[in-house]
Amino acid sequence: MRRLTGPWRTLAAALVAGAVCLVGLNGGTPARAADTVTLNLYIGGDTNIFDLWKKALLPAFTKRYPRYKANMVELLHDNGSEGIYAKILAAKRAGRTVDVDLWETTPGFMEQGIGEGLWVKLSDRIVPNISKVPADTLAAADYYGLPYRGSSVVIGYNSQFVKNPPSTFDDLVAWIKANPGKFTYCDPNTCGSGTAFVTGAIYRYASAERFAGKAYDAKDEAAWQPGWKLLKDLQPAMYNNGFHPNGNVAVLQLLAQQNIWMASVWSDMGLDWYTRGQLPKAMRFIQITPPLMGDDSRVMLPAGSAHLEGALTLLNWLLTPEAQTMVIDVVAGYPGIDWKYMPESVRQKFKDVAKAFAPWPNPKYLADIKRLWHEQVVGGAQ
Amino acid sequence: MTDSRRQGALGLALVLPPLLVLIFLIIVPAVSAVIDTLHPPEGAGWTLTNYALILGNRVLRSDIRFSIVVTLAAVAVTFCLSYPLALYLRFTKGRLPSLLAVLFTIPLFVPVVIASFAMITFLVNHGMVSTVLYRMGIEWFPPLVYNATGIVLTEVWTTIPFAVLILGAGLQAIDDALIDGARDVGAGPLRTFVSIILPLNATPTMITLTLLFIGIFGSFTIPYLVGGNAPQMLGVTMTNYLTQYLRRLDAVTIAVIAFLIAAAVGALYVVSVSRRERHAL
Repeated sequence: MRRLTGPWRTLAAALVAGAVCLVGLNGGTPARAADTVTLNLYIGGDTNIFDLWKKALLPAFTKRYPRYKANMVELLHDNGSEGIYAKILAAKRAGRTVDVDLWETTPGFMEQGIGEGLWVKLSDRIVPNISKVPADTLAAADYYGLPYRGSSVVIGYNSQFVKNPPSTFDDLVAWIKANPGKFTYCDPNTCGSGTAFVTGAIYRYASAERFAGKAYDAKDEAAWQPGWKLLKDLQPAMYNNGFHPNGNVAVLQLLAQQNIWMASVWSDMGLDWYTRGQLPKAMRFIQITPPLMGDDSRVMLPAGSAHLEGALTLLNWLLTPEAQTMVIDVVAGYPGIDWKYMPESVRQKFKDVAKAFAPWPNPKYLADIKRLWHEQVVGGAQ
Repeated sequence: MTDSRRQGALGLALVLPPLLVLIFLIIVPAVSAVIDTLHPPEGAGWTLTNYALILGNRVLRSDIRFSIVVTLAAVAVTFCLSYPLALYLRFTKGRLPSLLAVLFTIPLFVPVVIASFAMITFLVNHGMVSTVLYRMGIEWFPPLVYNATGIVLTEVWTTIPFAVLILGAGLQAIDDALIDGARDVGAGPLRTFVSIILPLNATPTMITLTLLFIGIFGSFTIPYLVGGNAPQMLGVTMTNYLTQYLRRLDAVTIAVIAFLIAAAVGALYVVSVSRRERHAL
């Protein structure tokens, strides 16, 4: 073997030195990757939502991205959210980072936070998969909250007794009158599915857009009068001469015991109960026209998060078909991304309910709807 | 002198924390709430408008009436059931009374939420009671839950132990010698009860009735779970106005009205007790 001499030797030395440098640099990256980053997630909701994160989404995410670990804080029924909001706001005012990297909460806190500039404004530049989310859903929250799942109120019926399910709100009213005692909705003070039916009756005679926006004028509520009359006329045809149980679950129980044959229910709860075999085999779910109300559940990224990069990675992953399928499998929710990106089998399963849903009235009108329902429909006021 | 002053300071230091809690968490918020209802932040000057609006609302008037009637019914039933039980436990000796004394306190240890759901399962259509009646051939009976009947039955079930305990404490205080004396001069059980026990136990009885009324009148969980859609008891109405209808001022006004009703019952008790004591002197 010829020995390296002169310039060759210098070159070889330079190459070796270069290689060492490169290896050294490369070696640095794995060493940094070994530092796991812990993301702090604050999830408000019911126990099914906690299970969705804890048992499905987070294990899959940390498996896909081993760099990240997740520390999840459960806020049952959003109890304690005031404190979380105050914490994020205080950190923002003090110009410090906050240990909240992702927060799922009610629209009220999202709105308040938008006003204070607390959230990261999302775009396809920082969350590429956001392009799969319908643009109007994102625009509804001004691109501050990421709608990663949804659900709407639909009509559940027992096909053993109901051969021709109603397809419009008027059909539904006609069916209720023709089958006294076989329909009810829960007290709107205790659940969303009842509020949706009541609002549906109001929207039958008044435009949804008028009450969904931010403007509020109590005088406009005169337009609800025909709706109240309709609901009052329906009272004798309700289950038990006009009884409205407390809570979504109580209505599902009435359906399960076949005390009633039809009711307004949340799509995710109804499908979940059905899949677990807690409802009769003949239960079916449909959306009527005009549709009842629905919600998109959103997560927000506090701008003061200390782990923005990790939180954005998580958000982007949440919008993959893999994560979205979990939303459907675990809580029977609607996907946050457009239906066309979902597998065919999923689209088939949801074809009767996966339609556009109506917007809720704004919180002030909603509060008045509940109060006036109590006065006009069950309270016996003039 | 220094010692007594030091003791005074110690006493003050011990009393101070609960006193501060009382002042800053109860009295100050309550007073400012009352002022809010009489002097609305946006309105000009002192006014009774809020009270006029609340009392002018037919639905709210029926809620107030409903609360009073349901409470009186529950107090009456509870009292009629607990007084004989308290008498029995006081004046009968043996194994059965001591066993009963333990048994009847059980509802005291059952959380109200669980008691309410248990009552619903028990009384609802297709529930235990209806199944038993159906087997006996009775196919129709009045609805027992989601109405006033349900509230009264559940309130009675949960408050009997409390009523028996207070009535029992009063009965314990009656000297056996008095009863033996009455018997010696030939008084029968009824005469002993009417002339000795009833008058001597009047104050504990008044205390029991007052506490029962205030407790049931202000209850929330039972009427919320077992009651119907309308009318509702004031605890539920207030909560709805505060959390569902987003009308804080209305909720506070209803709370003040509820407080006035409870205070009137309290005053009745104070007057009757102090009159008795004057007579005793």
